[in-house]
Amino acid sequence: MQLDNNSFAAALSIAACSLLSGNAQAQTPEVTEPGWQFESAVMYYGETDRVQALEGIFSAKKSFEDQKLLNLKLTVDTLTGASANGAIAQSEVQTFTRPSGNGYYQISSGETPLDDTFRDTRVQFNGQWTQPLSRLYTVSGGIHLSNEYDYLSLGVNASIARDFNNRNTTLSTGFSLSNDTITPEGGIPLALADMPNYSQGKFEQDGWGSEATNAQYLATRSRDSDDKTTIDFLFGITQVINKNLITQLNYSYSQVDGYMTDPFKVTSIVDSEGITRRNIYESRPDSRQKNSVFAQAKYSLGESVVDISYRYLWDDWQVKSNTIDFRYWLPFDYGGYIEPHVRYYEQEAADFYKPLQLESDQIPEFVSSDYRIGDMTATTLGVKYGHPNNDGTEWAVRAEWYHQTSNDVGVALPGLLTADDVYSDVDAVILQFSYKF
Amino acid sequence: MDFNLEVLKGGGWKCCFSAMASPCEVIFDSTDQELVNKLSHDLVTETKRIETKFSRYLPNSVVTQINQAAGEPINIDDETSKLLQFANQCFELSNGLFDITSGVLRKVWHFDGGDRIPSNKDIEKLMALIGWSKAQLYGDNLCLPKGMEIDLGGIGKEYAVDRVVQLLRQGQSGPALVNFGGDLATTSSRHNGKHWSVGIDLKGLGENVTRVIEFSQGAITTSGDANRYLLKDGIRYSHILNPKTGWPVQNAARSITVAAPTCIEAGIVSTIAMLQGKAAEEFLKTSGFQHWIFR
Repeated sequence: MQLDNNSFAAALSIAACSLLSGNAQAQTPEVTEPGWQFESAVMYYGETDRVQALEGIFSAKKSFEDQKLLNLKLTVDTLTGASANGAIAQSEVQTFTRPSGNGYYQISSGETPLDDTFRDTRVQFNGQWTQPLSRLYTVSGGIHLSNEYDYLSLGVNASIARDFNNRNTTLSTGFSLSNDTITPEGGIPLALADMPNYSQGKFEQDGWGSEATNAQYLATRSRDSDDKTTIDFLFGITQVINKNLITQLNYSYSQVDGYMTDPFKVTSIVDSEGITRRNIYESRPDSRQKNSVFAQAKYSLGESVVDISYRYLWDDWQVKSNTIDFRYWLPFDYGGYIEPHVRYYEQEAADFYKPLQLESDQIPEFVSSDYRIGDMTATTLGVKYGHPNNDGTEWAVRAEWYHQTSNDVGVALPGLLTADDVYSDVDAVILQFSYKF
Repeated sequence: MDFNLEVLKGGGWKCCFSAMASPCEVIFDSTDQELVNKLSHDLVTETKRIETKFSRYLPNSVVTQINQAAGEPINIDDETSKLLQFANQCFELSNGLFDITSGVLRKVWHFDGGDRIPSNKDIEKLMALIGWSKAQLYGDNLCLPKGMEIDLGGIGKEYAVDRVVQLLRQGQSGPALVNFGGDLATTSSRHNGKHWSVGIDLKGLGENVTRVIEFSQGAITTSGDANRYLLKDGIRYSHILNPKTGWPVQNAARSITVAAPTCIEAGIVSTIAMLQGKAAEEFLKTSGFQHWIFR
């Protein structure tokens, strides 16, 4: 006789009770899917004399039945301070028109020209949903939205992964698509146009806001906004080698089309004595194909975990970079942990990167003096400490020091110019406090 | 006594030992080391006692005595009688699907991942030795037909977990989580409304999947069929055998996790659900027990 449901549970309960000698304290089971898990973090990034950023991150994670997972993340950051505008240092005071055209800033002799107009607040939202499709397949899809004063980025992504070999091997593939629109204040400058020089000519005669100075400025503008589209494809394999070692290998291909020029960057046109005659707005190609290979190994040494990764990136702008990242996660008996971090980055410049342009030479179609696409090496040293609280929450602090050196790309320096006038270093500190609850 | 006590990250103690062919652990939400040490000693003693008494592999166990009685009636003690009565209830409740006499099928079914499938004839021969209804249990007296054997492997570990939970409650352990090879039960809810976060570790079943659930009281067990099977002519034979046919259950789930007031209830429900094959979802849904099923 098969009993119906309720009597099945009741009869089983009586049988168990009788076996366990009337265990009076038998409890109704209380099992729940984990609720929302939250993490908040505040991060400070400060470059010496340059950009400072303060970032707040709030993320929420929830798992649902059948291994479905929702991740939401909100990031708000504010940026203040100055950023190198691409021009070289001079022995005279230099004057630069602000990107908006509403004024100018001056740079003392011997200083790397920094544009201090940067003041922006960015709000970014990411949402990602992941779930199994069938027993061995997992799919994931997400959106991202980022908005700041002069920049809007919208994107979607999707990926699928399949497990093989008793789930010791996972193959995955995915794509992402994004569109970024930039609407700089004052509009987009004409590529290679001379930056208007208000300290001479019309400005001296007419003062600010006159028709003549406005006309001079507007002559360098092309359009209000522009955009670019990025498509990324990713192929990855994750392999569990043994219970202590897990490895991952990814290849990604990225195609970017559209406006990739930085409207705030200029290149100095220099005469044979090393004196800047004028500054021109930079110009970059409107297409870029990037490739990258990423390899990672995580090795467990009993309690502690070593995480080493390497990335090689190359693109058709001839930028090539190598990144080596090393982390060592070392837990303590009471549940806290410490994680030292070392990162080394080196980059070969884009083929149109030039720290300066000689007046006597023909100006090429593409030129940029943005140190970020120049030759450089960068080292990061950091440490993170995490601490568990008795109520199941956890806080962590992270401190990192970043040092970046721009390397000589072998451009002849005319006159009295030295490498120090042309190439500069960046030092930054990163401090982060996070709290999981 | 053979056990390890470890201080836990974030406070508390963990007692680890090995019994019933499984890693066993008990987590104490307590800082009283003296009490934890005493209770660990007691609970390991109790677990080993149950293992020694009911293992079919040990020559002096009660189960071995029963299996060697060769058709003669034998006297059994009160505890054994209660366990057999419980097994009898489960046999009836499951309409014969849960049967402690089905262990003899292991003589022809070897679930080693190979392709050796026994013949119908071999199975038929053994079927005559299966069927709990052929046993006669009257109080402290059991008579098992000659050649038949019982195996309490399907309930022994769960029973031990429940007994340990009782022992800890009597010993005023405070909140504790007992985990014998994936069969879990708690003594009570934790302090401050905290949960026990439990990973249903399917890795042990050959899958790299861990599922975390939050568990405040009661018991949880998992039955699985991931690693032990036979493969022949593209057909996968589950190690879950139907005692009524002698053949593996078709379309058995890969793993079934069930929550119940006691470990022995959870264990029986997850085992019977596995035996349901493709009807497992239907059975679990109507049984009313909270469950997680992986196909």
